[in-house]
Amino acid sequence: MITFENIDVVYPNGYKGLSNVNLQINKGEFVAIVGLSGAGKSTLIRTVNGLVPFTSGTLRVGDEVVDPRSKAKLRRLRSRVGMIFQSFNLVTRVSVLNNVLVGRSAETPTWRSLLGWYRAEDKELAFQSLERVGIVDKAYMRASSLSGGQQQRVAIARVLAQDPEVILADEPVASLDPPTAHKVMRDLRRIQQELGITTIVNMHHLDLARSYADRIIGMRAGEVVFDGPVEEATDAVIEEVYQRSLTAEDIVAGDAVPGRAVPGRAVPAAKLQD
Amino acid sequence: MSTTADATTRGSATLEVTPRPEAPRPSGLVYLGLAGLAVLAFILFWATRDSGDILLIPLGFVTLWAPLYPVIGLAVMLLTLLVCYRARIGTMGGFGALAFITMSYWAGSTVNFTLLEIPSRWSNVEPRLRAFLDPNWSYIWTVRDQWLITISMAVVATLIGCAIGLVLAMLASPVSSPNKGVSQAIKAVNSVVRSIPDVGWALLFVAFIGGTAHGLGPMAGVLALLMFNIGIVAKLLSETIDSVNPGPVEAADAAGANLTQRNRLAILPQVLPGFVSYGLYVFELNIRASAALGIVGVGGIGSAMMLQLNRFAFENVAAILIALILVVLLVDMFSMYIRRKLL
Ligand SMILES: Nc1ncnc2c1ncn2[C@@H]1O[C@H](COP(=O)(O)OP(=O)(O)OP(=O)(O)O)[C@@H](O)[C@H]1O
Ligand SMILES: [Mg+2]
Repeated sequence: MITFENIDVVYPNGYKGLSNVNLQINKGEFVAIVGLSGAGKSTLIRTVNGLVPFTSGTLRVGDEVVDPRSKAKLRRLRSRVGMIFQSFNLVTRVSVLNNVLVGRSAETPTWRSLLGWYRAEDKELAFQSLERVGIVDKAYMRASSLSGGQQQRVAIARVLAQDPEVILADEPVASLDPPTAHKVMRDLRRIQQELGITTIVNMHHLDLARSYADRIIGMRAGEVVFDGPVEEATDAVIEEVYQRSLTAEDIVAGDAVPGRAVPGRAVPAAKLQD
Repeated sequence: MSTTADATTRGSATLEVTPRPEAPRPSGLVYLGLAGLAVLAFILFWATRDSGDILLIPLGFVTLWAPLYPVIGLAVMLLTLLVCYRARIGTMGGFGALAFITMSYWAGSTVNFTLLEIPSRWSNVEPRLRAFLDPNWSYIWTVRDQWLITISMAVVATLIGCAIGLVLAMLASPVSSPNKGVSQAIKAVNSVVRSIPDVGWALLFVAFIGGTAHGLGPMAGVLALLMFNIGIVAKLLSETIDSVNPGPVEAADAAGANLTQRNRLAILPQVLPGFVSYGLYVFELNIRASAALGIVGVGGIGSAMMLQLNRFAFENVAAILIALILVVLLVDMFSMYIRRKLL
């Protein structure tokens, strides 16, 4: 469980990234965060693992109170919280397996990392993670030789190798084409259901949020302005969050599960089978 | 005005054309000031001209003599200013042109740089050039031990220098260093190390631990090359680290890696091609530098060359120089091959 209590984020330049955010995200929940560009979605997601330090309030991840000033505590926290990025953030020059093994860093002694000599258990864990996203056969290929969708799967495997309690994903499918975006979202959803990992995803596309999430959080100007199950996130509500009417850019379409990803109609997600 | 009306009036004398803006005329006053500067420079050059050795250049219609050079300089300066003014070049541009001409005139006359001297020295140059063109090939084999020393010095200095340079580069770049203070401190130390040239380091180490005379030449040489290499590798590599893709670095941070792990896993692979190529470059520099280092009493091929130079055995020096060129070319080709494989 993740709880935000009166969380404020003030950036070093004085800009207020988050103001008075109160949230409770339950264990195993799949939450989508929507909002216009600059609304503070990335800021919110990055406070959870301390990539952006919050400036006041109390943040708990599990039973632990997050302290953004203690580097050692942050590292321990981050080993339990995996993160997925829009641009995959793989080291493109090394193998897929080595990229996944970066996820084992917190559990690996520094000298082993320096020599690149991982324990057999860690390698096995990395292979299992790759298996879960279906690209174990690519383990010894260079990351740069994979397609965008495959690279994002490697990034998911890297997170799974951490054996995380929470997965944070900052626009994980924004640089993928619509069919691939759906495939990657389905992977994330399946993993969340199989392993019961709390998953928080930033989204640009409303239809993806509605198809794959249990709950939607709407943000505007650093504040949470909507929080509810997918069923309640109707077009009218989202238009209120965006402060404008919905357009074709708010959906990704593609090979969405038929009858689900239609803007203009609130769709229940949750029971998505694949 | 409608489009048809537009079409009918086109070409007629009554067509109103918005006046085209003209390039602004540069301030004549400032240009006058610049001309004043040119005159001041002329006065300086005239007062400090070297009247001791007079050179006469017959041009047919007039014979130039050396002290006249400042007058020619002034003429060129004023002409340049005039051209700049007519071309409506801004005052900063005019100043730049004037500064360029004045500085090159001044610098050239200070070191007495002139191509006119070469023909008069030809009788001196010719016999040496002859010896150089007829190298003593058998001598190359005679100094094989010195070659071995040079190459081993280069290898050892490159390997250790690159290792230390890598660590320093990681500490120096703000992307990979523990904090800003460390980064600034290492950068400062590194500039000091780099400000001393390789020959300077060699002189220092020869003075401290002894040179060839004590059988320590190669030791002093390795230490000198080492310092030289550390400076270069740390500088080039830390700049490469500055421009690394921050994405993987952030991902490693987000996975809970510590600083050492994240530098090793996310930064090192990204800068590895650069690192290897700097290492090869530095190796090449070391081979070349060893020729110069011989002069200050460090062992290797440089001291062999120095010995032959002192004996005026130019055919032997030529053999060594040609072998040096070949070795450097080989190293260069080898490093190009490796780089191509790596990138
Ligand atoms: N490091 C920073 N320093 C100062 N201001 C920042 C910083 N990072 C973000 N901001 C500001 O905080 C606000 C929220 O940024 P954030 O990245 O959280 O938005 P977002 O909702 O993720 O937008 P997008 O959809 O474009 O990614 C923006 O106005 C941004 O300019
Ligand atoms: Mg963002």
